[in-house]
Amino acid sequence: MISRRRFLGASAGAMLGGLAAAACSTAPGGGQAAGAKALRCWDHFQPREDLHKKLFADFQKSHGTAVDYTVYNPNQQGQALQLAFNSKQLPDVFTTAGVKLPQARLRKEGWIAPIQLEQKDLAAMPAEVFLNGFTHFDDKLYSLPLVNFRQYGTLTWYNAELAEKAGLDPEKDLATWDGFRAAAAKIEKAGGDGVSGWIAPLQFAERMGEHVSDLAMAAGGSGAVDPRTGEYSYATDPYVHAIEFLVSLKQDGLLFPASSSLDARTARARWSTGVAGLFFDGPWNIGVVNDQFKPFLDKVGVVAMPSAEAGKPVFVYAPPKAGDYCVAATSQHAEAAADLVKLFTTKEVMLAEAEQMDGMPVDLALVDQANVHPTYKTAAGIFRRQMRLRPAPEVRNPAVSEVTAEMKQIEPDLGAIVQGVLSGQVKDARKALTEYDGKLTAERARAVKAVAAKGTKVTLDDWAFANWVPGQDYGRDKYKTS
Amino acid sequence: MAATVVSEAPAERRTGRNGRDPKGGKGPRLGRNRRWVWLFLTPTIVLYGVYTVYPILASYWYSFVEWNGFDADKTWVGLANYRAVLADPLFWNSFRITILFMVAVVPLKVLLTLLLALVLNSPKLPMRTLFRTAFFLPVVTTTAIVGVVMQFVFDPASGPVNVLLRKFGVVADGINFLGDPKTALWTVVGVYIWKWFGVTLIYWLAALQTVPDEVYEAAAIDGAGPWRLLRHVTLPLLKPFVVIITLLTLESTLKVFDLMLTMTNGGPFYATEVVEIYIYRWAFAASVPQLGFASAAAVAFGLFVGLVGVLQLLGIRAARKTRSAR
Repeated sequence: MISRRRFLGASAGAMLGGLAAAACSTAPGGGQAAGAKALRCWDHFQPREDLHKKLFADFQKSHGTAVDYTVYNPNQQGQALQLAFNSKQLPDVFTTAGVKLPQARLRKEGWIAPIQLEQKDLAAMPAEVFLNGFTHFDDKLYSLPLVNFRQYGTLTWYNAELAEKAGLDPEKDLATWDGFRAAAAKIEKAGGDGVSGWIAPLQFAERMGEHVSDLAMAAGGSGAVDPRTGEYSYATDPYVHAIEFLVSLKQDGLLFPASSSLDARTARARWSTGVAGLFFDGPWNIGVVNDQFKPFLDKVGVVAMPSAEAGKPVFVYAPPKAGDYCVAATSQHAEAAADLVKLFTTKEVMLAEAEQMDGMPVDLALVDQANVHPTYKTAAGIFRRQMRLRPAPEVRNPAVSEVTAEMKQIEPDLGAIVQGVLSGQVKDARKALTEYDGKLTAERARAVKAVAAKGTKVTLDDWAFANWVPGQDYGRDKYKTS
Repeated sequence: MAATVVSEAPAERRTGRNGRDPKGGKGPRLGRNRRWVWLFLTPTIVLYGVYTVYPILASYWYSFVEWNGFDADKTWVGLANYRAVLADPLFWNSFRITILFMVAVVPLKVLLTLLLALVLNSPKLPMRTLFRTAFFLPVVTTTAIVGVVMQFVFDPASGPVNVLLRKFGVVADGINFLGDPKTALWTVVGVYIWKWFGVTLIYWLAALQTVPDEVYEAAAIDGAGPWRLLRHVTLPLLKPFVVIITLLTLESTLKVFDLMLTMTNGGPFYATEVVEIYIYRWAFAASVPQLGFASAAAVAFGLFVGLVGVLQLLGIRAARKTRSAR
């Protein structure tokens, strides 16, 4: 008879042995699906799911390799990748949605490997989308971009039926903050009971922060960090005024009452039922409406986000974009994975991608040729006119990525502050933003010091670009003279 | 006393038929039985070890390292995470909200369920079983689903609660129950009490079954009416259970993560962010997760829950003593 003590000891031993065995498992193939020949692919492109399934089915026919494909909600994908990496089960091909670490850090930590594609394989893609420090490291391709940096998530989408009822000329009446406010009031009045002027995803603090950042640039701001000085600029007038603009909409009673409980998806769903006239969202909005709310499709219109002052040109600055599809460093089928990624480099597939009306394609010119809703073409035109490439310190000094990865999140962040101001819990937006600036500045200084202590050459001056000119793209040539 | 009974038992009963001590497990049947017992216990022990004990121990380890979950390496930082957690005003905000939630829920839930249990325990009440089932039904409903449904129920634009309030002229505009920091926490308190009402109700009903019928009969013969029966018979005999039920309810209110996340996500602006959501935010929802920091918060909160558990243990012991002295 085994004694209780001995049994417990044996159980503990077995358990530890099992755990040790599990920890030592290398899950060959970066977590290949059973059957070993299948590639695993995870992405977050829900509107493109059907297209990707078809492409992967064709890939299986032509290459004899099946693709186990999973589409994630971006937030959940970050958690799934985190768990997959730690259990050595990364999929062969994946997007890094939900993983906020720079790809430079992911590369260093052994997440991603060079994609085995040659220069000629990328010939159909615009050269400007590739950049060392973002898509490339040491001139090797680490991630293939599918989405253009020339897009923002604060286009003004309007219910054309309600706008017509209110007698609006959207191009003109929604061009400025004051106009937007007056138009929202007219829509509310014309729409009658149960119709609000504006609906917003207040529960999705991060998105609200993006809206404010975009609106601040529409008021002459240059983004979260002033490229000229490298200083954080949340506490500047453009940000404060952008928040005040949103607060004015709420004070006027124009905000859809349930907005505080809505995220981007639920806000879009409610907007498409006609309960509100105006909604800020990115170009993908029309793709989702087309997929999920088809009866509403003909009632949708879009114009650029409103600016603070009439007649002043609006420029929105975005940094270069890292690529989307990466190949896992642990993949045992790197060649097959590269072949899979290669599918997305052809003009035909890029055109088909554009027709899903998700994020803007890397080649904006394709939108004109694509069979898409007119609003998607309008959005592409707006982005061509308003979007500008901002300088990225990572390009000039790759060590900046180390600092970004070292920095800890500061709470409350911009999104939370916007949420707090709109709910009345933050009384003084400028004070809250000044505190946020101060904490960010201190945290960056600490991170720079920590990274520099490891022998890496990085200073706060890396964030400043004296040769940056507002309203212009900061192309590759500019880094040479910065 | 049990010890006396054993010492007075016949020798063969104490030693077993073959003369061996059954407690020693030497008898073939008992030995076989024990092997089965351990065999059936093994899966539970292993699973409990892997899914409960190991994560707890791991979280203690993580609380001493700096790790974002994406890097392969973890850096030992000693007590730095604990210092950072204790210096974070948002941690104390979430701690305050957790305690506030507990203080609001426990008395309400314990009292309301006691009142209802007294009614449902009455033999004169028709369809008692149906009512008991109805009150228990929310308990077996998935909490996340309840949270999502409640968002619609309390929707300021078209939710049934606001529709009724407007219809009866109570308010002109809808109340933003979940979006207003003044009402959000209390709305979740109400839903939580409703959702878990059945559990505490069952505790009380079980407690009421321990009151002997003879005592009621004797009191009735002495001329006691319903109020006197309640005041002088039922409530005094329920006293030991008050401690146990209150402590069980108190501990359960510390686990409100799923309902709070689905109803308010901790907002607006941290107004309903209980400690569990604070931990979740840093571990999974932060732009760069801070698993070490989140683990330190979890361990600190775990120690607090442990303290409540110790109180519970002491309470139960005190209650047992009171019962055995009765």
